[in-house]
Amino acid sequence: MKKLTLPYLAGLAAALTLAVAAPAAIAQERTLAVSGSGGIVGEMNTRFFAEPFTAETGIAVERLTSEGSRMAELEAMVNSGRVLWDVMEISASNYPLGVSKGLFEPIDYSKVDPEGLLPPGARAEYGVGAASFSHVLAVRTDQMPEGRMMSSWADFWDVETFPGPRALRNRAEDNLEFALLADGVAEADLYTVLSTEDGLDRAFAKMDEIKPHVTAWWTSGAQSVQLLSDGEVYFGTSYNGRIPPLAQSGLPVEIMWNGGALHTSFVGIPKGTENIEMAHQFIAYRTMNAAQMRQYMAELPYPGFAPGLYDGVAEAVTAIQPTAPANLEAQFSANPEFWGDNLEAIQERWNEWLLE
Amino acid sequence: MPRIFRHWMLWPALAMLLVFFLMPSVDILRASVMDPELTFRHFERFLERAVYMRVLWHTVEVSFVVAIVCAVIAYPVAYFIVQSPRRVQFLLLLLIFIPLWMSILIRSYAWMVVLGREGVINSLLMGAGLIETPVRMLFTTPAVYVAMIQILLPIQIVTCYSAMSDIDLGLVRAARVLGASPWEATRRVFIPLSLDGTITGMIIVFMLSMGFFITPALLGGRRDLLLANLIEFNVTQLNWGFAAAIALMLLLAAIVGIVVIRLAARLLLRALNGALAR
Amino acid sequence: MPFTDASSGESVRFEGVGKSYGDVDALVDFDLAVNPGELVTLLGPSGSGKTTALNVLAGFTQATRGRVLIGDREVQGLPPEKRDVGMVFQSYSLFPHLNVFDNIAFPLKLRGVSRKEIAERVEDGLDMIQMGDLGQRMPAELSGGQKQRVAFARAVIFRPPVLLMDEPLAALDLKLRESMQAEIRAYHQRLGCTIVFVTHDQNEALALSDRIAVMGDGKLAQIDTPQAIYDAPQSRYVAEFIGKTNLLEATVAGSDLAIPALELTLPVADLPAHSAKRDGPITLSLRPERIFRVCQGDAEAYPNFEARVEDALFMGDMVQYRLRLPDAQTLIVTERRDTGGARPTRGATVQLGFLPRDLTPIPEPS
Ligand SMILES: Nc1ncnc2c1ncn2[C@@H]1O[C@H](COP(=O)(O)OP(=O)(O)OP(=O)(O)O)[C@@H](O)[C@H]1O
Ligand SMILES: [Mg+2]
Repeated sequence: MKKLTLPYLAGLAAALTLAVAAPAAIAQERTLAVSGSGGIVGEMNTRFFAEPFTAETGIAVERLTSEGSRMAELEAMVNSGRVLWDVMEISASNYPLGVSKGLFEPIDYSKVDPEGLLPPGARAEYGVGAASFSHVLAVRTDQMPEGRMMSSWADFWDVETFPGPRALRNRAEDNLEFALLADGVAEADLYTVLSTEDGLDRAFAKMDEIKPHVTAWWTSGAQSVQLLSDGEVYFGTSYNGRIPPLAQSGLPVEIMWNGGALHTSFVGIPKGTENIEMAHQFIAYRTMNAAQMRQYMAELPYPGFAPGLYDGVAEAVTAIQPTAPANLEAQFSANPEFWGDNLEAIQERWNEWLLE
Repeated sequence: MPRIFRHWMLWPALAMLLVFFLMPSVDILRASVMDPELTFRHFERFLERAVYMRVLWHTVEVSFVVAIVCAVIAYPVAYFIVQSPRRVQFLLLLLIFIPLWMSILIRSYAWMVVLGREGVINSLLMGAGLIETPVRMLFTTPAVYVAMIQILLPIQIVTCYSAMSDIDLGLVRAARVLGASPWEATRRVFIPLSLDGTITGMIIVFMLSMGFFITPALLGGRRDLLLANLIEFNVTQLNWGFAAAIALMLLLAAIVGIVVIRLAARLLLRALNGALAR
Repeated sequence: MPFTDASSGESVRFEGVGKSYGDVDALVDFDLAVNPGELVTLLGPSGSGKTTALNVLAGFTQATRGRVLIGDREVQGLPPEKRDVGMVFQSYSLFPHLNVFDNIAFPLKLRGVSRKEIAERVEDGLDMIQMGDLGQRMPAELSGGQKQRVAFARAVIFRPPVLLMDEPLAALDLKLRESMQAEIRAYHQRLGCTIVFVTHDQNEALALSDRIAVMGDGKLAQIDTPQAIYDAPQSRYVAEFIGKTNLLEATVAGSDLAIPALELTLPVADLPAHSAKRDGPITLSLRPERIFRVCQGDAEAYPNFEARVEDALFMGDMVQYRLRLPDAQTLIVTERRDTGGARPTRGATVQLGFLPRDLTPIPEPS
């Protein structure tokens, strides 16, 4: 209430004294609450999307940081009927979760992408694809044997040729795909294999091989890069956007795109918000504005799907994007539906397997 | 002070307890068995899958060890502080309090710097030529112990200290003049009187340990999964029912743990005092 | 009946004991000799060193100088547990985690007494303090007087030859205090141990003691029987500290004793026999209860003088008057209430008299 009252009074006063200033002042009372990651991701989103959006539309954007408990908070809000967010970032794995629990408003594509320019994968029923990110292997090039470079998951599994401590994320998701790739399964067959009991056994059997060589099982992105920079591990997975800053700081580290897991994260609308109209407006800006997105991805390589995004982008910037043609080719697309259905059961087995 | 007034003073606290403790507890209990109708499947799953009982056991084990080691270290430290002159006491307590102002996350990261492959200890040992390859300390269970003990030790020291500073030192003198050597006076008077506070501290440390998840996740090995990590995972997956069931099992284990600590303390007291016998 | 056996008390001696805490001298060249089986109180104002003396004796503090003897054992340097003294503390210091029985049994357990004997002796002790059925009570469940009795029983259960008591009754109300004093005297008679008893309550000291040791500024001012202390204080300090008194400056010249404040001159020969009668100034102590009103007719029988009543303080069985002498000095007089005649009112002038033998000369400090 307070948030609204002060600008409103200011607006009223302005309207009474300066008729010309009135529209702008009244527009200030319109505020959109956007929930998403904090840190550098939050900063870049504010700088390249929220601020120019406000400048263009007069709608103020309030960014609310939410991390691991975002979905829990959302569910609590939806259940209590007091939804404080108008727009939210939805990570790849949270999308199926929220959809199954009915926590999102459906997207009206006539307001976001009336001409149907976005690729089908970005036009989900309850969210618009806003960013791609990869869960990839990063390697310390200074720890490579002479003249060799890791180029596949089979190499990661090859502890003879590439000795040294390794790190993986402490989740079944993606890791089992990596294991199957190392075991020779084709990208296209990953999820058919994984859907069978035998395929799952095969993935865990492959994981058995690498388990003794994995010294750290990380639980947060920050930790994953810390491990590489501290020299705790020579080869470890991380999110693609976290590696370039590490390299820029002088650490000899490189992404191995081959066999990376490509994910799409969305922006969507929490069920029950009153500002559906404005929310669509912001989502359109966030997902369709190629000019802004280009600036964003130059800082943070999490590109979206805005039409013509790669037009005129410098080669150096393109090279670090997970959706740059060459990188796209090297990776497989993660299947959020599969994990939405199976994560709980498989993660339970994963935990048991870790304790063994 | 009239009785009514005293009761009245308690109302806000009671209201707080009701709103912030009792109601959520009832909520958790309900969530664990109503999904959406009465069911015990969450508890069945907990008991059937090996992983949960193993993690529960590990959690209890870690918490016990941390509580005991904290008590063993804190007791003499607190005793030393109580014996110091007042002004020194204040300084020492301040020194002990300082780490409490740092978050658990930061303190856990600090331990990574100390215990890491290229960390302080390994660098020193290698620099001194004592070892050739780094010793693996990080991502092991002992690393979790060391960090948790360091994080929780101040709490135990302060509880011990406050119990000890309440003891009338005249009682120790009385014991002496009645024939007790310094050790006998400590054993028969000082320790029994400071035991309650020490046990309280142990219980606090034990309870806090039972809920740890950042430190084991950052410093532990693959087996150092604690129950709170599983609760967190299930909450992020919106598995409220199962998360609630795990939380209740954790609570149950904590209550059993507290009872065990209390019983052990009573036995210890009896052994120290030898009731009627010498 | 082991408990009630009279143990033989031992003597206690302080010889030139000094104790300083930094700049503070708590005891200065302190000498005291207590006979075996005697009950001596250490009496003195706050800070006069009573507790320090007791602590030096108990072994809680080490004397800076001098010797301390219990019987013929030199005890300085011995830890408290080796001195074999019992002690009762002002705050009782009962062990809150032990019941009454275990509190009393404490010294016996430490001395390796058999279980059976402990049970017998503690039962006896409980009987002596008339708390036979309260052995299982915890200290927190006892009244002040009961706590005091338990503390006493605990201190004497091992029959120490010397018992130390540091203001043990200070926390009790007047009535209880008086009955406990009687009890302590009775126990003392029964047990036969030497008791060194600290108090700053002179009435308690007068009621209890075989002898009173008056302390001031860490020194022994005087040690004597209660009566001698009261009747013949050996210093201004003792005279003023024990009871109330009037101090009068006088001059001896030949056979004449002049007391200017009273405008009287008496024959020196009327003073008590033991007093010094050298020429020169002298201080005389005259107790308030030794001054009385004289009727016109008695004027010749006693030395008498006039004074004006300033106020009268009602004290139950007594009335205390504050009077002003012609030279402006104040004088205190107490009078039993049953004294006949109308009581003088404020502002009235009264005629007062005394017996010359009640004038106690105070020796000048040498
Ligand atoms: N531990 C100590 N440190 C420094 N000074 C002390 C200490 N104990 C006693 N004193 C000082 O020594 C002097 C004698 O103290 P003591 O306690 O013997 O007096 P007391 O006669 O027992 O007095 P009270 O009637 O108040 O108990 C006092 O000036 C006191 O301040
Ligand atoms: Mg004292």
